[in-house]
Amino acid sequence: MKKEIASFKVNDRAHEVLITPNMTLSELLREHLGLTGTKNACGAGECGSCTVLVDGKPILSCSTLAIAVQDKEILCIEGLSRGPELHSLQEAFIDAGAIQCGFCTPGMIMTAKAMLEGNPNPTRDQVKEGLGGNICRCTGYVKIIDAVMGAADTLSKGGK
Amino acid sequence: MRVLKPFDYFEPGTVKEAAQFLTTHGGKAQVLAGGIDLIPRMRIGKKEADYLVNIRKIPGLETIEASGANGLKFGAMATLHSLEASKAIQDDYPILYKAIHQISSVQAKNMGTAVGNICVATPASDVATALFALGAELTIEGVDGERKESIQKFCVDYGRTSLKENEIVTEVFLPRPPAGTGSAFMNLIRTHADIAKVSIAVAITVRDGVCEKVRIAVGAAAPTVFRAIKTEAALKGQKVTHEAINEAAETAAGETKPITDLRSTAEYRREMTGVLARRAMEKALQQVKA
Ligand SMILES: Cc1cc2nc3c(=O)[nH]c(=O)nc-3n(C[C@H](O)[C@H](O)[C@H](O)COP(=O)(O)OP(=O)(O)OC[C@H]3O[C@@H](n4cnc5c(N)ncnc54)[C@H](O)[C@@H]3O)c2cc1C
Repeated sequence: MKKEIASFKVNDRAHEVLITPNMTLSELLREHLGLTGTKNACGAGECGSCTVLVDGKPILSCSTLAIAVQDKEILCIEGLSRGPELHSLQEAFIDAGAIQCGFCTPGMIMTAKAMLEGNPNPTRDQVKEGLGGNICRCTGYVKIIDAVMGAADTLSKGGK
Repeated sequence: MRVLKPFDYFEPGTVKEAAQFLTTHGGKAQVLAGGIDLIPRMRIGKKEADYLVNIRKIPGLETIEASGANGLKFGAMATLHSLEASKAIQDDYPILYKAIHQISSVQAKNMGTAVGNICVATPASDVATALFALGAELTIEGVDGERKESIQKFCVDYGRTSLKENEIVTEVFLPRPPAGTGSAFMNLIRTHADIAKVSIAVAITVRDGVCEKVRIAVGAAAPTVFRAIKTEAALKGQKVTHEAINEAAETAAGETKPITDLRSTAEYRREMTGVLARRAMEKALQQVKA
């Protein structure tokens, strides 16, 4: 198996990493860049906890090869806050109590971010549909939806 | 989480180059499209590959092109999301739109391709069920040139297609449904994120109350998605009365070869094929009238 030095753009920062073709994007983030906010759970594309944005679209980093996203913009949960200042979605999840064990939260927030960019004022049903690929096993969906609705409100009033 | 076994990786610039690579490496190389089926299978050791051939850089494979009166074609790298968002598909091939739209995972639709979905050849594919009813024709390319094949011929058996080791599906063509065509897609599913117990897609063309042409596709009720050809033959040339539809639904149920698994018993799948087929035919006929 060939090893090569590959360049990545993650959260607006350039990185060079020695990779092998079998390295997934979630392994790159967690094990080589120390960005452990992104979670690995089912490994089968079913749960959404490994969701990150590639060129603005939510994708499953556990089923994406790192080698195939070298030329793309990668955004993961660590890229949302500005220093100690949290993103409106992160604030809203805290305020609404939308975090129980927290394992699904980074994936939920990344999916919600992309959704709100496409549809800044969603209905509750649209939020449910938009988060259809993210599972919360604490089953705290009501509060998660509350949080996304709250963040939509803040963001549409000019929040960040 | 388990690490993927080592493999080498290749991004060909043309279909020819991809086919040549696949020929050189025989069954040891696998085509990679969106990867949402292949990568998880490799992780659990259900698929093995020494080489992955990612076809994402081959120009033109992402296109979706409506060619007016003829029909519509889309390439192997057109994602489920881009197909779902296509106005031409929403307007003229609404059952394909519905089959994709009911997929609950946004991420799966951003990554996965319709062609990858068909190549997996699972009988429970909603997308393939819609494509069967739309009369999809595939373009398949190898080192010796290209061939065309209907989707029914392509899906040979459970998890098996007609693809040779060194062939690639490049394009799917959907003929334009004639005037007077109504269509419907339905599936029976416990929760949206689960796999269907039964899916049905129907496209029926009616003139003066008589069925001129019909395709009835059934998913998850046999080793492959299949066309209920006896049912289709019995309906063709008939007046589309209530009795004719009820009888056709029963015939369709009889054409299934279902299994019992964790989602359903064989008996239930057979019964529900009849129920969904009747409802889908009724819905399609309402569209013809409207
Ligand atoms: C969470 C989730 C929910 C889903 N829900 C549904 C659903 O509701 N209904 C439904 O029908 N499906 C559903 N699917 C299935 C999904 O649509 C398919 O897994 C996906 O479209 C496969 O496409 P891919 O591009 O990722 O294929 P890959 O994983 O890249 O490839 C799959 C297989 O096809 C081969 N292949 C791919 N492209 C080509 C080509 N051009 N030529 C030759 N061989 C090729 C590969 O070698 C591999 O063997 C779901 C999947 C997930 C993960």
